[in-house]
Amino acid sequence: MDLLTRVLFTLLGLFIILNWGLLMSALMRKLTAKVARRIGIRWYQPWINLVKLYSNRNSIEHGVMFQLGPVFRLLGGVGLVMFMPLIYGSELFSNFSFAGDLVVILYIKFFGMLGMALGAGEGGHPYSAMGVSRGLSQVTTVELPFTLAVIALAVQYNTLSLHEIVAAQQGGITNWTLFTNPVATLAALLSMLGIFMHSPFDLVRAPNEIPIGPPTEYHSSYLGILRTNAPILHVIEAVLYMNLFFGGATSWPMLIVKTFLIYFVSIFVGVVFPRFKIEQSVTWFLRVPLILGIVAIILIL
Amino acid sequence: MVEPIYIVASGLGIAFLLGLTKKAGRDVPGTLMLLTLTLMTFISFQWLWSIGFADYAPHYTYTAGFRPPFSINLKMGEMEAFFTAIVNLIGLLGGLYLWERLKKQGVNSMIVYMLLFVGLNVMIMTRDLFNLFVFLEVSSIAIAGLVLLQRDNKALSAGFKYLIAASIISGLLLVGLIFIYQYAGSLYIDDIIDANLTAVKGGMVAVFLILIAVALELKPFPANGWALDLYEGAHPGLAALVSAAFASAMVFVLHKLLPVAGGAWQNMFATLGGLTFIGSNLLGIKQSNARRLLGYSSVGQIGLLVMVVGLSQYLGEKLTLIAYGILISHYLAKAGLFWLTGIINQDNIRNWSILRRKPFMLAIFGIFVFALIGFPPFPSFFAKWELIMQLSAGSGFVWVIVILLGSFLEGVYLFRWLGYALKLEHQELPAYKIPWNKILPVAIAGIGLFILGYFATPIATGAGNLNFLPLAAVVVIFFLDFLPARIKNILAIATLAYYGYMIMPGLYESEGLRFIFSIIFIIGGILTLLAGFAYKGKRKGFYPAVLLMYVGLGQLLTADTMLQFFFAWELMTIGSYILIIRGKYSITHGYSYMLFSVGGAYLMLAGFGLAYAGSGIPGLDALANISSLATWASILIAIGFMTKTATLGVHIWLPGAHAEAESDVSPMVSAILLKAGVFGLVLLFIGMGAESAADHPLIYILGWLGALTALIGNLSAVFQEDAKRLLAYSSIGQLGYILFAFAIMTHVGWLAGFTYTINHFMYKAVLFLIIGGIVLRLNTHYMYEMGGLIKRMPYSFIAVLIGIVALAGMPPLSGFAGKWLFYNAGIERGWYFQGGVVFFSGIIAFLYLYRLIHSVFLGQLKDRHRMVKEISPWFLIPAYTLIMGIMVFSANPEWVLKPFGKVTAQYFPGSPLIWEGDGTAIGQLGYWNGTQVMVIVMGLFVLITLWLIMLNRNAKKVKQFNIVYAAERPERPETTHMSYNLFAGYNRALGFMVAPGITGIWNWISDSIQELADQIRRIYNGNGQTYIIHVLTYVVIVYLITTGGF
Repeated sequence: MDLLTRVLFTLLGLFIILNWGLLMSALMRKLTAKVARRIGIRWYQPWINLVKLYSNRNSIEHGVMFQLGPVFRLLGGVGLVMFMPLIYGSELFSNFSFAGDLVVILYIKFFGMLGMALGAGEGGHPYSAMGVSRGLSQVTTVELPFTLAVIALAVQYNTLSLHEIVAAQQGGITNWTLFTNPVATLAALLSMLGIFMHSPFDLVRAPNEIPIGPPTEYHSSYLGILRTNAPILHVIEAVLYMNLFFGGATSWPMLIVKTFLIYFVSIFVGVVFPRFKIEQSVTWFLRVPLILGIVAIILIL
Repeated sequence: MVEPIYIVASGLGIAFLLGLTKKAGRDVPGTLMLLTLTLMTFISFQWLWSIGFADYAPHYTYTAGFRPPFSINLKMGEMEAFFTAIVNLIGLLGGLYLWERLKKQGVNSMIVYMLLFVGLNVMIMTRDLFNLFVFLEVSSIAIAGLVLLQRDNKALSAGFKYLIAASIISGLLLVGLIFIYQYAGSLYIDDIIDANLTAVKGGMVAVFLILIAVALELKPFPANGWALDLYEGAHPGLAALVSAAFASAMVFVLHKLLPVAGGAWQNMFATLGGLTFIGSNLLGIKQSNARRLLGYSSVGQIGLLVMVVGLSQYLGEKLTLIAYGILISHYLAKAGLFWLTGIINQDNIRNWSILRRKPFMLAIFGIFVFALIGFPPFPSFFAKWELIMQLSAGSGFVWVIVILLGSFLEGVYLFRWLGYALKLEHQELPAYKIPWNKILPVAIAGIGLFILGYFATPIATGAGNLNFLPLAAVVVIFFLDFLPARIKNILAIATLAYYGYMIMPGLYESEGLRFIFSIIFIIGGILTLLAGFAYKGKRKGFYPAVLLMYVGLGQLLTADTMLQFFFAWELMTIGSYILIIRGKYSITHGYSYMLFSVGGAYLMLAGFGLAYAGSGIPGLDALANISSLATWASILIAIGFMTKTATLGVHIWLPGAHAEAESDVSPMVSAILLKAGVFGLVLLFIGMGAESAADHPLIYILGWLGALTALIGNLSAVFQEDAKRLLAYSSIGQLGYILFAFAIMTHVGWLAGFTYTINHFMYKAVLFLIIGGIVLRLNTHYMYEMGGLIKRMPYSFIAVLIGIVALAGMPPLSGFAGKWLFYNAGIERGWYFQGGVVFFSGIIAFLYLYRLIHSVFLGQLKDRHRMVKEISPWFLIPAYTLIMGIMVFSANPEWVLKPFGKVTAQYFPGSPLIWEGDGTAIGQLGYWNGTQVMVIVMGLFVLITLWLIMLNRNAKKVKQFNIVYAAERPERPETTHMSYNLFAGYNRALGFMVAPGITGIWNWISDSIQELADQIRRIYNGNGQTYIIHVLTYVVIVYLITTGGF
């Protein structure tokens, strides 16, 4: 198919993901609120947030890097969408995934993270830097069990191409990696808790603790871009997990349901557990998740 | 042709006549003495020339007209000519040196001086045993006399101890001689050899006594306390004579007399020599008195020569050349060093920094030190190489270990001394004069070493057509050192460019592999030299060193034999050592670097020896044809290369060396020099069989080692406060990746290795250049003292940003190519755990990269930096050139990866990367299209940025300080810039992994050796009677061991 069609369908996919992401975040907050016996926000609140942020007239900036921070962040999120095949079997919604395989996807994620880190640092706030240092520290050990699980998968399916991994999981629920390689899936799911950065691994932004850092320094359309990116990123990371471990999606409703359930796992854990400190969270991933990852590798040796 | 007897006659004659000239003042006798010495030297050299080059037969002089054994027979053969020539030359030069002193002490001292040389000449030439004894006595007494004439306490006690020892030794010799005459019936040495006295028990004792006396005169360890006191107490000019002339003559005497024992005791003497070599050099480590240190070194070198004489069974026809090479280097360097001691008159080696007042003296000192240890281009290098080769071929591995260990220990104290001379303060030391008669012998010695080095090349196997022209260029630059730095920089760049022009086309045609490395060495060299334009002044000593390093690197690529490779390796080491130690605080780091380099080089030499022994080929293809002990050869050579790439275990020198080096040196050593080790490892792996060696246990170990190095290197970098140290540890980590990639031993793995190599070169050079420029501007290394520099140095920021994105391996930049390849390679090979460790290290890299860029460029600007300027454009230009290279590679990875693929396919033909027309690379497992990724990412970036700009048209720029936190407005940037201990939590969690364990181990080894040296040297308690007990005990023990009593 020609370039224009591909771009248009990619944008369509992006649009769907954005909206679903906004809705999903609202639903999750409502669920969390119910657990805490509150009512929670309205389901359309995230849209209103975005509208408000983008329509702010005033904004201040601290320099070029400061402005580029959200750009890199959004680039990370949208980039992930670009290279991710969304719907299995659909050429329309496989975006630009022919340009790169799983390795590209894994590393594009870091691009956004680093860019945000730079932008936060340029804000001039020491607390932003503190948050970034915590975030980066956590990421190192979070990714380790996930990588081991990915290696185990790559060997199991003998490919690093997401298309082929999803294809190998078709034909019934028992073909999902969840059932053919439960150890790797479990290791990856535990990593996922760190990737989504919900409690207990939310020290990075420490939402109720330090009201400073990117959420405060960034404002109006900068914050708007960040708030646009967050749902995209959440959905697309869930899509990645879906493609790797839960059989992919052959239609949009299935994608929506599966990503909701995957994301729900981290929320589910989060409502029950308090926050870890950085040294605790860093070493947590080096215990059970790492052992599971090592076992996953041993099983394929 | 003058009869050799005239050497003796003129010397003796003038000695007597001098007594008559006492009334003529001091100058006349002095001149007469020197003229006679000139005559003696001339005669010897005439014979040396005739016999050596004009094919004369050896000449025999029969005194009194009778044949031996009824008369004394003097022989002037090739060896005698050589030894008399060098002895007389030292006599002449030494006489010149001691001119003032001899005149002051009077004609008597001149007489004694002449007698010494007469005695030495006869000792060398005579074939009669008793004659030998007589003139040995003459020489010893002459030395004692010269020492005692000095009249200060130390000299008197030293001379006295020497006399006692010499008497005992002469006594042993005489008793032995008497019994030899009894058993052999003749005093003619040839007759005695024929008599085969060792068959008879009594004869054996007699022969033993003779030989042990000769051995004792050679000052063996531990029976040499008197000798060391002599070296310490005597005037340096005399010590030079003892060390150079007397010891040389005695070595020849040993060689002359050893056949009397009929070849039975060769190993014994080799052992004694080896023991002396190691023992003396070990004890030298704790020495801080220059003369005593030189004494230990002399004794050690003579021990080495004794060992060579004793090992003649291994060395065959190469014996004389090897011995000459080592002897000449020792003789010239030792005499030169003793003479230097006399000129500058400083006894403590720490005070030798005074040499820096006259660069020429410092250079000569450096020449002597390097010649002693056996670096190229001096004769000792070729001699030692050949010695190791021949010993290995004969399976004399124990001897190889002894020689290399002793040489290393010698290097320990010599380089410490050189470091002191190069770096310590000297302002408070008194001035010294350099009279022409003292500096001329020193200069002759120094220049002689170079010239003889050039002529010594044929000694070594595999010298082939060793190219000295590049080295000549270095010497030229040395003589142009008075020019301003900018002009020298232009010359250096031009020389390097010309050198590249000469060698690169040839490498491109023949060997893509070497061409890849030549791009790094030559182009990288030119770019890093560009940064040198930022320096004003003269930069004395920088340019010869930097050219030496690059010339060495270039010659590494054009080498086809192992010798040429090793030659280039050592040249590169000298150059890089001088460059590294130029840093302000680099004295310990340069020393550490040199010790690890020398240790690694010796292991490599041993490995090359095994390779030569196992394959019989001197060329580099020997590595592929080793039939026996191949694994040992590979292990030794691998460790040798790993000391250069700073693999875990031998990495402790790198952080200090790279961090404290000057701003333009750090990119050179970190981005370029480390790749020499990589090149070596690549050659080794090819030699081990490339694809067929993939399952070799050594390769498996190296793979794990690479992964662990990556982990520890990167993790250590995270906790550094010093920006350059951070980058240095990062280099350790990245080199770990490279080792791991090459150890994978598949096509894709090697492709990953080459990609990492060239990427690391580019981005590390960029990072070090920019950070170096910043360090120059701000005058601090610590990141917490920087901050907010993005406002003042935007171009530096962009360069560093690109550098860190490339290092982190994020798409779309070129670093990702390496990561993608490594993922595919690791999984394909089945090294999942190692791959996991390496991946983990890769993520850890994000931490220190962020730390670097945030602490330096982001955050708050310090008040004192508010007006600081952008870094020197001379640092930006090479950095941006490299960045263009990175961008080109990133946008079109197939332009680089396809040629690399062709090179790799020569060694790993199986499972290459397949390239589709649109630029997609397809591996066994995955696929990737670098150009498309770049286009997509750049496209998105542009679109999103445009959108942002559109949204924020009215954004108002505010000052960096316009922030609020904790309900206050900050006032001082120091309290607002978060940088110190940025990863405190991470340190609490994982900091235990980078506790300095390996440094502790090396420190323990170093301390133990020093403690051992300290304990053993206490046997030299200064008491002459104790020394005699040592001598006698030594005789008894050696006798019992030799004759099988033990």
